[in-house]
Amino acid sequence: MSIARNIAGIAKGMSITFREMLEPTQVENYPDGPGPLRGAKFEQRFRGKHELQRDENGLEKCVACFLCAAACPSNCIFIEAADNTEEKRISSSERYAKTYNIDYNRCIFCGYCVEACPTDAITHGHGFELASLNATNLVMRKEDMLVPVASLTAR
Amino acid sequence: MPDVTFTVDGKKLTAPAGTLLIEACRKAGIEIPAFCYYPGLSLQAACRMCVVRQEKVPKLQTACTTTVAEGQVFTTESPEITQARKATIELLLGNHPLDCPVCDAGGECELQDMTFRYGAGESLYTEAKNHREEQKWSPAVYFDRPRCILCYRCVRMCGEGMDVWALGIANRGSSAIIAPNGGDHLDCEQCGMCIDACPVGALTSDTYRYKTRPWEMNHVSTVCTHCGDGCKVTLGVRQVDDGAEIVRGDNRDKSGINGDFLCAKGRFGFDFVDSKDRLTKPLVRNAAGTLEPVTWEHAIRVVSNKLKEIRDSKTENGGGSSIGVIGSNTGTNEENYLLQKFARTVLGTNNIDHIRTTDYAAFVRAMAGHEHRAASLRDTETAKAILLIGGNPTEEHPLLAWNIRTNFRHNTARLYIATDSPIKLERQARQTLSLPVEGYESLTAFLSGDDSALGEIENAKTFREAVNAEESLLVIFGQEFRGAAIESLVKWGLAKENVKFAYLGDYANSRGAADMGLSPDLLPGYIPVTTPGAFAEEYPNLSTQPGMTAPEMLDAGCRGELAALYIVGSDPVTAYGTDPAALKRAFVVVQDIFLTGTAALADVVLPAASLYEKAGTVTNTFGDIQLVKKAADKAGVKPDFEILVRIAGGMGADVKKLVPFGRGSITVPAVTAPALSVDFVPTPRPIPSLRGIHGDLGQSRGAHSGEADRHAVWLAARGLELRLSPFDPLAALDEIERLVPSYKLDRLNLFAGNDVHSEPGFVPVASLTAPTAAELILPAHDGLFTSGVLGDHTKALVELNSYQESISQPVAEAAAD
Amino acid sequence: MPKLTSHPDEVKIISKRFGMGAANIDRYIELGGYEATRKCLAEGSEWIINEMKASGLRGRGGAGFPTGLKWSFVPKQSAKPKYVLVNGDESEPGTCKDHLIFLHDPHAIIEGTIIAGLAIGAKMGFIYLRGEYRYLIEIMEKAVADAYAKGFLGKNIFGTETEFQAVVQTGAGAYEVGEESALMESLEGKRGVPRIKPPFPAVVGLYGGPTVINNAETIASVPHIITMGGAAYAAVGSERNGGTRLFGISGHVERPGIYELPMGYNLKKMIYEVAGGVRGGRKLKAVVPGGSSTPVLLPEEIETLGMDFDQVGKAGSMLGSGGVVVIDDQTCIVEFALRTISFYQHESCGWCIPCREGTDWLKKSLTRFHAGFGTKKDIDNIQYLAENMMGRTFCPLGDAAAMPTLGFVKKFRKEFEDHLDGKPCPYAKHVEVALV
Repeated sequence: MSIARNIAGIAKGMSITFREMLEPTQVENYPDGPGPLRGAKFEQRFRGKHELQRDENGLEKCVACFLCAAACPSNCIFIEAADNTEEKRISSSERYAKTYNIDYNRCIFCGYCVEACPTDAITHGHGFELASLNATNLVMRKEDMLVPVASLTAR
Repeated sequence: MPDVTFTVDGKKLTAPAGTLLIEACRKAGIEIPAFCYYPGLSLQAACRMCVVRQEKVPKLQTACTTTVAEGQVFTTESPEITQARKATIELLLGNHPLDCPVCDAGGECELQDMTFRYGAGESLYTEAKNHREEQKWSPAVYFDRPRCILCYRCVRMCGEGMDVWALGIANRGSSAIIAPNGGDHLDCEQCGMCIDACPVGALTSDTYRYKTRPWEMNHVSTVCTHCGDGCKVTLGVRQVDDGAEIVRGDNRDKSGINGDFLCAKGRFGFDFVDSKDRLTKPLVRNAAGTLEPVTWEHAIRVVSNKLKEIRDSKTENGGGSSIGVIGSNTGTNEENYLLQKFARTVLGTNNIDHIRTTDYAAFVRAMAGHEHRAASLRDTETAKAILLIGGNPTEEHPLLAWNIRTNFRHNTARLYIATDSPIKLERQARQTLSLPVEGYESLTAFLSGDDSALGEIENAKTFREAVNAEESLLVIFGQEFRGAAIESLVKWGLAKENVKFAYLGDYANSRGAADMGLSPDLLPGYIPVTTPGAFAEEYPNLSTQPGMTAPEMLDAGCRGELAALYIVGSDPVTAYGTDPAALKRAFVVVQDIFLTGTAALADVVLPAASLYEKAGTVTNTFGDIQLVKKAADKAGVKPDFEILVRIAGGMGADVKKLVPFGRGSITVPAVTAPALSVDFVPTPRPIPSLRGIHGDLGQSRGAHSGEADRHAVWLAARGLELRLSPFDPLAALDEIERLVPSYKLDRLNLFAGNDVHSEPGFVPVASLTAPTAAELILPAHDGLFTSGVLGDHTKALVELNSYQESISQPVAEAAAD
Repeated sequence: MPKLTSHPDEVKIISKRFGMGAANIDRYIELGGYEATRKCLAEGSEWIINEMKASGLRGRGGAGFPTGLKWSFVPKQSAKPKYVLVNGDESEPGTCKDHLIFLHDPHAIIEGTIIAGLAIGAKMGFIYLRGEYRYLIEIMEKAVADAYAKGFLGKNIFGTETEFQAVVQTGAGAYEVGEESALMESLEGKRGVPRIKPPFPAVVGLYGGPTVINNAETIASVPHIITMGGAAYAAVGSERNGGTRLFGISGHVERPGIYELPMGYNLKKMIYEVAGGVRGGRKLKAVVPGGSSTPVLLPEEIETLGMDFDQVGKAGSMLGSGGVVVIDDQTCIVEFALRTISFYQHESCGWCIPCREGTDWLKKSLTRFHAGFGTKKDIDNIQYLAENMMGRTFCPLGDAAAMPTLGFVKKFRKEFEDHLDGKPCPYAKHVEVALV
């Protein structure tokens, strides 16, 4: 009885193996294959270069609460906060991030910042072609990460 | 009160009968949460967070109002109690906005901590929260009403603590709000104590609002640079491009000499550090006659070469005695000590002085030889009776005023005031005596028994009777007393038992400047230069001829008799009203943080670090010594200590002689002081017990920033830390301790962040010279929002000052309608 | 002057002089007034307190604390002056007994105050009237002035060496000030919030002096007790509940009004006989036995219920201030609860968190619930809120709001459930509830 069950188990396992052997390959041939700019598909949960989001009114979601910086294990986020004024409103709350830098030399893409964010302002995008020969280029500023206002209307 | 034994959570505790349960538990390490309870203020029992179960009592009891008695049994944690606390937080959170990410208190909010602990994470209500717009009450204080949990701490702090009563409660029920006395603005002393007391982010300060978050800052506990009280202030510092900027001043750990207190100057008066007027580059006057930025190396070379040339010159207008040195009231003790040592040993001159705001020399002369007669600031909080003669502590010594009020409130201390004009503290006074402006010396005579001295003043006799009837007395007097007047007053008091004295002076380290020998005739510890004793060996080229006082130096400079004038952190040209053009002939070097009147005419200006940017010790006007820690940092500036060492080095002096550093600098402090010129053996002092680090469970915000690195403190306290750098001011402190008997310090307390009292009684009596001329004293009389040159460059204080002036205008037009 | 009606079961002690023009001091004396005071002056403090203890009189304000015992707690010797305080801050919904005394028999209050003063050795009495009783202030002030003129108040009352002064004072209109220590704060000119106890008023009260504070009805009973004798007074009432009480019957009854009935009088009889039964012959749904702060009772619970402090307490409610509110079967209990809680929400002083926030959220929840936007969870929430207010507040106001709410939710849960799912109130054609 147990022998028969074992054989059945192996047969079931091997059948998946053989079936998958005949299926077309799912791995992207990078960099020679399509790549992100040429139509490659990403899993939703992929943690790439960060994006700073805007709300439905086009205001920045980030309120400069510094929680991402506090959560960051590699200490790569630098923020300077400033007050919103009636004339110049950047975020929906009292405060916004005047400076928001992420040092990609140090970032380990752990995603803690995204989890810590109380306003869903920082998310992981899918950008991964970040390599550079100049380390100073790897300190991204707010403008490099903020989603453009246009992308809202496009949606 | 006799001790009683009671049980809390199965633990047997002992405390004096009548102690509040919450206090007894905190002392035993059992934390009972509370919003409205604040040690030292009246009880409220309004927040219902401190509920505990007392055996045989049907309802839950509030620990903040329950006094302990023999045999009581309490439970402070149980499912029932946790549920009660959780329900209270749920109710609070019902209307409390959940804007923690932007709230200033986020991260150091007691409501956050409690929510975290009791977990009221779910919202029970679907109705809208009661929302109100934020209000600006004054240039210092903002009020965000929905965040307020109505614990009334601010109301009590303002009323009971500050005796200002600017805050109150308006409306009732769920519409109850904290309201300022001006309707929509505050008319008060702008001390900001309400902000400190607020357990949530309802009261916020203009200087810190929305700037950063508590965990993004380093918290440095140092000593306030403004008045002579020497409050401990915790500065929140964060890194910026050109160093480290101060973003907040508060009294976070409450561990200092000031307890709960901090005034407007300590709290908001730090932005002079980042003023645009700060000097950040050395300036040297070029051939065209203008000040030109140069490198530090160049500037130091110019100064040291020129000073060396003048010192070594054999002409009539040359040599050490043709150089004058004027020191600072806000520098550290180490800097002042080094400055006078530099002047006396490297420059070879006794022409050293500072702008004296108070006649400490006369005070110490009067006190010399009488131990334990000089009061510490802490004594003002416990003294049974206080006689205040002259001065206005509320304006000029806010901490002293706070202590007197606290003492009055807690211990019903008896306060006697004799002044020439009414002061606010009279509200706490048992008796007041109104003196004529010139009547202070007559008061001494009157107190000593001369009836005719104040014969015409009505209540003088009852006042004297009451004062004389006191068994112990703390006599605090102001700058109205100078020279011989001090001596006669002190003499009157010394004749009685249990009388202590305190003398009120102006700046952060005026006392230290005097103690450290910034005087033409007195060495550190008020040893006369004429009989230098141990200093004769220590200071190789010491002249025994007293030098010139500061005004004499300036006059000599104007006459062209002074070849060089070296000024550190002071502005004598403005203070003495000297004609700037007349000083042209002298070589003037100024070390300062701003381009003052004196710096503007100098030949070399060296940008110095402020007290918030350096380390060392300072002595307050009561003689309490405290540690100063480096908080901020500014590119381009150097501490006065370093500048002096570099110049001395540039002049070819042996730096190791000047500052004992390097191998061999480990000095276990001797048990007795070195023998001085007179028969003087100080009695060994009992080492006061370590006051320890103030653990304020749950009440203070966040981590205990005042907690020191215990290992480092231990090493430093025992003198086992090697001084590696010639720029280490603590190396100078070692030498001060060795040579100045009144500065034999309880190092463990000092380095743990506590205050240590110095004892002027250790100064040898017979050796003192005649009292200094009273006209040398220039009191500053700074108010609540002014602080000499620093105040002028502090935007927050300037703003507060003009605001207070604007709202105190009479509103006659409104009444006419 | 309104016409006064009566019922044969009434035992007229306090209301003896009602409607006889006793506000006039001469008429009052004619009706035997101020005799009790003379007697007390002769007999002395010890005797008065013993008579009071014998009478079994319990505080008519609501808590039912024995009055004689309360007076005996006041220390004989005191460095600070002692005071007598008359609490006429009658604000409990459903209660309107004291104003009749002030209106018809103000001198009984003055007399009672003097006797209380003699008992504890006080030289000063304050008669504190509710802020809204502006129209009674004149009557009371005139009565005091008359008493001074006759020499019944002043340095040497009734020609003896004894001094007693009395002052009439009114509040600004706050329910909270009915709490004894809040009343003292208010009298001292401060915000009317309660004080921390202990110390109790008998030790540290008004202006820091030992103070006896009694309800106006209690004080008005005092001269009658002295006249009748404590034992005779006690005999009128039930066990450990001496004398009579002014019961205010309001709500859906045929003859609402104030009736003086002996303690322990059956509640059902009170509703159906004294007050003439439920209005329009409708069915009884519930009764609030002692003012709006007491938990509601169901018809089956009142069958044999005698109205005294002990029996009502045993039935799970409280006798409170004796304001019986009768609710007929066409009344929406949710609305009744909302109306009750609205009062407490408005009157909460805001001092402590559970009361300030609790009443507010109860009102908000009940408003929404009554409008038909409630969920099943809301019923639990309302109960949870009320349970967590009970016994947690600084003064009894929180309990006063939570207790009836708990009663309504527990006893009429079905009616709450009828409001669920957006259904309109089943009693949409509701009858005006007798509260405020």
